[in-house]
Amino acid sequence: MAKPAVIVVGADKGGVGKTTVSRTVLDYFSANNVPTRAFDTEFPRGTLKRFHPAVTEIVDVTSTSDQMKIFDTLNTASASVTVIDVRAGLLSPTLASLRDIGFLDAAKSGQITFAVFHILGPSIASLDEIAETANYMQGAKYFLVKNFINNTSFFEWDQATYNSYFHRIKDATEITIPKLNEMAYEQVEVASVPFLKFVANKGQHDETENYSFVLRGYVRHWLAAVWSEFDRIKLTDIVGSKEAKEKTSRGGEK
Amino acid sequence: MRRTPVYIICSPRPLVGKTLIARLLSEFLSLQRGAVIAFDINLKEPSLLDYLPKLTETADIDDTFGKMQLMDRLILNDGIAKLIDLGFHAFDEFFKMADEIGFMKEAARRGIAPLVMFVADTDRASARGYDMLIRQIPPHALLTIDNEFVVRGELPEAMGYGRVLAIAALPVFLKTYIDRLGFSFTTYLRNEKDTSTELHQWIRKNYFSFREIELSLVPQRQ
Repeated sequence: MAKPAVIVVGADKGGVGKTTVSRTVLDYFSANNVPTRAFDTEFPRGTLKRFHPAVTEIVDVTSTSDQMKIFDTLNTASASVTVIDVRAGLLSPTLASLRDIGFLDAAKSGQITFAVFHILGPSIASLDEIAETANYMQGAKYFLVKNFINNTSFFEWDQATYNSYFHRIKDATEITIPKLNEMAYEQVEVASVPFLKFVANKGQHDETENYSFVLRGYVRHWLAAVWSEFDRIKLTDIVGSKEAKEKTSRGGEK
Repeated sequence: MRRTPVYIICSPRPLVGKTLIARLLSEFLSLQRGAVIAFDINLKEPSLLDYLPKLTETADIDDTFGKMQLMDRLILNDGIAKLIDLGFHAFDEFFKMADEIGFMKEAARRGIAPLVMFVADTDRASARGYDMLIRQIPPHALLTIDNEFVVRGELPEAMGYGRVLAIAALPVFLKTYIDRLGFSFTTYLRNEKDTSTELHQWIRKNYFSFREIELSLVPQRQ
């Protein structure tokens, strides 16, 4: 059986696009036939669940019972990959909890694959987050995600300062999420479907929809760019998918 | 399956004869097919809308909403020929958007036959525009227009490799005559009894060329 993999997507700052990135990750695994489950920690509302209801459960990651629900089932769940969308402000506490329950040690010893997608905001506070998060990153794959989807310009950053933080974490990798046309983004929000279904002109229950060809084109183009970043970091290899070497047909441009 | 043609008449340069060709082709398609919808994205130059107001709608691709209004209609396989008179100011934005949304691929899937009719000129903007098009548009969907009134000599070498449609220059007095707002090419053919006039032959020759293009868009039987 494949080694279980856990991907945590988070940031301590709100509104930087954590759930959007989680959605692209779920779409990517879906297109690559990697069985995946997701936990949405935006308790009790659950934005991720709205888009991926079949694979997503809403949990309160601060409660012990829900922590058990996530981590005690890693070896028994049918899905080998677990994506956790950590709500704003909870990244550092979540990582601290993972350390406390011995999860980080398990990752360090190679029993579990652990990756963190740290979504960066434009403010200097994000750089402080990097420094804080770095303390937990031994044994984890650490990805710093610059998310331009909401037109972030990262204007506050001095590149030299950023580099000094970036290099504190050994093997940290940078990922860039490009901007998506605002109207296209809005329409996917309104449709409440995964990006893949929007591109395929499908509704929540796979019924044929009548989305704009232009907007679907923008989403397809954007999703292909995001996935090429995931291809670049060899995300399917990281989670140990057997299908990693097989090129499956996708709803994107490939 | 019947394919719906979409003609895109374009150039990154003003005043190279785009609207004249759009008028000619619109009138031909109206005569040949009974219906045509023309879109005028050319409001900063002499406008197709002024010449053919009954056939023409204005379109705007400055924002996403305008792009949706236009492209979502172009991608419909409804059997009605469409034509775009694409102003020079919208050239880059249109093809950038078409590339991003995968227009050519989706058109092929839906039985739409786009034909990009690039009106050539000898300047650097045209060379750059043509270079962009040959990287984006399949050869069968790209046609260079050699408007003799504009090029006045040999086409630039780089533009002469693919399909080329030559439009002969008319004498200035005839050019002035056909540039009048009320002038109709088809009405002229119907009403002018003397078929030997230069204008009569010019219109017929161009209509014949358009007919050849229309035939090339119909899939050949095995």
